[in-house]
Amino acid sequence: MRWILFAVLLVFVLPLGLSATAFAHGVELEYRTGVIIEIFAAYDTGEPMSGAEIRVFAPDDPSTPWLTGACDENGRFSFMPDLSLPGMWSVQVRHMGHGGWIHIPVGDNMVRAGGTGYTPLQLGLMAGLGVWGFIGTALFFWKRRGA
Amino acid sequence: MHISDGVLSPQVWVSGYVVTAALTAYVLTRKTDIAELPKVSIVTAALFVASLIRIPLGPTSVHLILNGLAGITLGLSAFPAVLVALILQALLFQHGGISTIGINAVILGLPALAAYGLFAAGTRIGIRGRYAIFGGLAGGTAIALGVLFFSLCLLTTGEHLEDVIPFVVVAHLPVIAIETIVLGALAQFVARVSPQALRGFRPR
Repeated sequence: MRWILFAVLLVFVLPLGLSATAFAHGVELEYRTGVIIEIFAAYDTGEPMSGAEIRVFAPDDPSTPWLTGACDENGRFSFMPDLSLPGMWSVQVRHMGHGGWIHIPVGDNMVRAGGTGYTPLQLGLMAGLGVWGFIGTALFFWKRRGA
Repeated sequence: MHISDGVLSPQVWVSGYVVTAALTAYVLTRKTDIAELPKVSIVTAALFVASLIRIPLGPTSVHLILNGLAGITLGLSAFPAVLVALILQALLFQHGGISTIGINAVILGLPALAAYGLFAAGTRIGIRGRYAIFGGLAGGTAIALGVLFFSLCLLTTGEHLEDVIPFVVVAHLPVIAIETIVLGALAQFVARVSPQALRGFRPR
């Protein structure tokens, strides 16, 4: 009789114990807030730097990349900086030997957007001034040659 | 064909500065004819703005480099002309980097000197249309050699940048074609109207 009682216990109670273990797999949810920085890399013609190599450097170690990745086909790359490392984060973009750096402040003095490019007007003005410098030099030596 | 900062190892870009400094010093210490300086200045202006003028070509766009033009018009002075144009492009437009000005001058300046040598030697041959033929060859060769030097520099990085070399070569094929045609026509025209503007021109 005792054996039968033991068998009944084994058949009914053991599954209960197993399912109790299964029910004990609860779900733990955590959250943290952060900021996502989106990089858009393009040549000065406006052509996106598709597939460009990205290296992100945290402020505490400017020589070892904190994160590496690649731009998507539209020249975009997103990452979430570690807000416990405030300061100037640097992102290097490289593509076929071309490339550049952008420095992004993270922390209290964050700005919503920034960039490194020039407007077409600025580019045109700089090019015009440069060419005028060369023409002026040429005219100077032309005059000396004629004198 | 401007290599940016942070791509090359220090050994490579420092070597670029050494070669550029030596070549520039050699060219500048030679006796320079002051009458040549206006021409040097105007050709440098052309080199300076060439990279800003994009020519739409299918889905992409290309820009002229004109180092061959510098070679056939300036001779050895083409090297400092390329250097000055690159310095201004790097400082004003961030085309290329500051640390790589030396190696970029080697990449574009040495082919300019090769173009000069090719043009000067070729135009001694008394064949009809020699200025068009060797002007065009000099223009195309200057770009092709530039692509070669650029690719060799990328190979030194050891970061599997060899994968991008085929793209660089294909992207510059239209530039080779355009500069071959432009310099061929230009050399023939200049040889007729103002032959003294060409290096290697010898009156017959």
